[in-house]
Amino acid sequence: MRFKKPIIAATAVGMLALAACGGSSSGNGDGDKASGIDKEKLGSSGAGMDASRANGPVTIQGAKEGGTIKVLSNFGLNSMDPTEAYYQNTMSILSGLVTRSLTQYVYDEKSGDMVLVPDLATDLGTHNKDFTEWKFTIRDGVKWENGKDVTAEDVRYGILRSFDRTSFPEGAAYSNDYMLDGDKYKGPYKSGTDYAGVEVNGNTLTIKMSKPFADMPYWGSFPAMGPIPKGQDKPEKYRLHPLSTGPYMFSQYTPEKSLTLVRNPHWDPKTDPARTQYPEKYVFDFQTASTKIDQILLADKGEGQTTMTYDDVLAPDYREFQTQHKDQLVQGGSPLTAYWAPDYRKITDIKVRQALAWAYPYKDAALAAGYIEGVTRIWGTNLMPPGIPGRTEYNPLPGHEPGTTDTAKAKQLLQDAGKLGYEVKWLFANDDPQAVKAKDVIVKSLTAAGFKASPVATTVADLSTERANPNNNKINVRSGGWLSDWPSGGSWFPPVLGSTNLKEEGVGSNYAIFNEPEVDKKINDIQMMPAAKQPAAWNELDKFIAEKYFPLFVTGYGGVAMAHGSKIEGFNVDTAHGTPTWGNIWVQQ
Amino acid sequence: MTTTTTADLEKFGEDIDAAGGADKASEKVIAGKSPTRIALQRLRSDKVAMISGITVLLLLVLGVLAPVITHALGLFYTTTDPNAPLPSEVLSYDGFPSVGPPYYPFTWEHPLGLAPGTGVDNFARLLYGLRTSLAVATGATVLSTVIGVSIGLVAGFARGWLDRVISFVIDLFLSFPFILGALALAPIIVSRFSTNLDALAKAQVFALISVLVVFGWMGLARLIRGQVLSLREREFVQAAQVMGVPTRRILFKELLPNLVAPIVVAVSLSLPAYVAAEAGLSYLGIGLTGVPSLGQTINDAVNSYSKYPLYLWAPVITVMVLVLALNLLGDSIRDAFDPKTRR
Repeated sequence: MRFKKPIIAATAVGMLALAACGGSSSGNGDGDKASGIDKEKLGSSGAGMDASRANGPVTIQGAKEGGTIKVLSNFGLNSMDPTEAYYQNTMSILSGLVTRSLTQYVYDEKSGDMVLVPDLATDLGTHNKDFTEWKFTIRDGVKWENGKDVTAEDVRYGILRSFDRTSFPEGAAYSNDYMLDGDKYKGPYKSGTDYAGVEVNGNTLTIKMSKPFADMPYWGSFPAMGPIPKGQDKPEKYRLHPLSTGPYMFSQYTPEKSLTLVRNPHWDPKTDPARTQYPEKYVFDFQTASTKIDQILLADKGEGQTTMTYDDVLAPDYREFQTQHKDQLVQGGSPLTAYWAPDYRKITDIKVRQALAWAYPYKDAALAAGYIEGVTRIWGTNLMPPGIPGRTEYNPLPGHEPGTTDTAKAKQLLQDAGKLGYEVKWLFANDDPQAVKAKDVIVKSLTAAGFKASPVATTVADLSTERANPNNNKINVRSGGWLSDWPSGGSWFPPVLGSTNLKEEGVGSNYAIFNEPEVDKKINDIQMMPAAKQPAAWNELDKFIAEKYFPLFVTGYGGVAMAHGSKIEGFNVDTAHGTPTWGNIWVQQ
Repeated sequence: MTTTTTADLEKFGEDIDAAGGADKASEKVIAGKSPTRIALQRLRSDKVAMISGITVLLLLVLGVLAPVITHALGLFYTTTDPNAPLPSEVLSYDGFPSVGPPYYPFTWEHPLGLAPGTGVDNFARLLYGLRTSLAVATGATVLSTVIGVSIGLVAGFARGWLDRVISFVIDLFLSFPFILGALALAPIIVSRFSTNLDALAKAQVFALISVLVVFGWMGLARLIRGQVLSLREREFVQAAQVMGVPTRRILFKELLPNLVAPIVVAVSLSLPAYVAAEAGLSYLGIGLTGVPSLGQTINDAVNSYSKYPLYLWAPVITVMVLVLALNLLGDSIRDAFDPKTRR
């Protein structure tokens, strides 16, 4: 899953990568103590599944109907077409409030985790023995916002659309990767609706895979795995008003500026095991300055009491939220790993890559980029963030405490490799003051370690494009970040370290441009394994890659620190997306 | 020809003196003084001018001596300095300094505190920012004055098509949106110098000065043109023309000395305008990024204003004092040079 926005992708992601971590472990750890984040469960995004929670209605004790919730964010929305929604904010708003799909996540009060439950389907799907065929039964009584019934055919059409990488370049490609003929079928606009992989029989949908796909119920929770009305789905228009099947529908939408969601009268709570419809409407206001958002929430007056944000509070405001407005602050995990990926084709010496990991100023860069240690930046070594089943901590650099910097050790490694003065080139956004600050401390630390630091200036607008160009000779390190799509190595290793066809797909999310047939084969082998054995095998692979190839180093895991007005109730962290639990929110009257 | 000019100026000065001082103190001995001398004399007795002049001088010295002062005090204006403390050594978990304001008591080691996020010393950054502001403003003022005066002289003296063409060009530049030009230029420069950050920092300074000059010379050019239009009809210019003096000489030896007053006034008023413009552009992120500047610091400080007002107020007040002092000084200079004012 991607970050909130290319802008974020540029600022945060770019910075993330920039910002990773360093310093001494005995540093200022007040943040650690201050935050209530359970570092063992950052990405426990719906590790639980509960097929029995299949029926609504959901009632929340004490919740009141009515009220308007104002949602402020600094970032505009990318495509709101369900097929293309693949950013934290677009996915979360669509899945949580507007569109229904095969499965969904629900917040579990007791554990604080997200649990995967059925949505449009009556269960979490049934599979054949080797996970190559999945059957979902679509429930009755679900209606579109225009009152028409949602049929299994509509869902099939939605799934067919998810194969189209040309009309929906930003969308997730799991249908292409796993479903039958995914590499050949190009969606209904190009290849027509004749596709053998998805069959409808009455209310039952049968999906055939090209390889075992045990994680299908998770992929089923994406907005892309939901119904689309055939004939009304022109991509350029549908993204402006996706037809609602959930509790709220689009009333007014100005891309990059504002969105108003009002109640959908045709949504039947009895058919929905997770969502609720307490507030009368949601008014989203994008492109609001982060300082302003924090000030409105800290003042907590008038409309501010029913205002919320899914952006992180700014580091300078964190202490005040933490000490004086603790009940308005919502902190939790986010399944995010930020990392620096040396270009595997260019920095071929593993010692240089390891030296880079020793030299990187983890703490200083995080501070300069505005992250809060222990809250929005947590140190670690595994590519997979904590909370993913089967994960056990390992350390590919013996003696290296995560989050610390040792330039002397880095220099030693460089000397051993005979690469003293090695030039490291990476991108930073020159028009983002925090990125510039982070760049400065990284330069200092790398220089002290005996590297030649050559940051390459670009702009926020161009950063992701320049980084995605595999032939960009100005750089030899890319900073990146990845959010898991579901709590399994299956949503980490194939996209982040599986080899890509550079000519056709470009860098994709493999920022290291890592290409080892041995690893590709292991990924493939694990995908063929029985589901029960996979978690341990992914973790083994994580360790194996880091120890043998060390293609990237983690600059930190993510966490969220969101905030809301005092009259908003039920706001928790959806750890699957790092966003609010929309289904639980209501307003005090 | 020089003698003619001086004589003429002295006569001019006497006229002024005679016009104003005659009725008050007619018995006083009338001494011959040049307008510049009169102006300087008036400035010396003007308290506002003296105070603002000293303030400007003081800030100028602080800016020029920034490296010396910071070195002497052991302060650092950038994190890239090998001896500067690491952010993690001097900052708390939320990026605020762990010494000095806003959460800890005042310390003489860092009189204006440390910058959140980077831990560099605010006083050092202020001095370097002042240096940048003054350098950019001075550079832009000198260049735009030279260009404005030359073009104004030519336009005013040349009758006919050349005057019309130049006037049209002036109008053209006046109608071009200044902020838009600066906004468009910034990313182009970044992409051109992306791999060489030192060159980028220099390019940004030059680009900023160029932008300020390109959009700043027109006012003076118009003013000078107007002055020349009236001066060229005066007898001493006509006499020079009759004597066959070359045009260049007439422009620079006959006309220019008579334009000292408006030029000095324009310079003294454009300096503060450029200081403010530099801060504004850097605040918008389209000015300087590679070197410290007051606008940059102000932009950065806005995010933490509610917790750390000192971080914002220090550069804001510095810009304010600098601009105010330059403006008051400019006003006084204008008054001093204007033959019509009397106190």
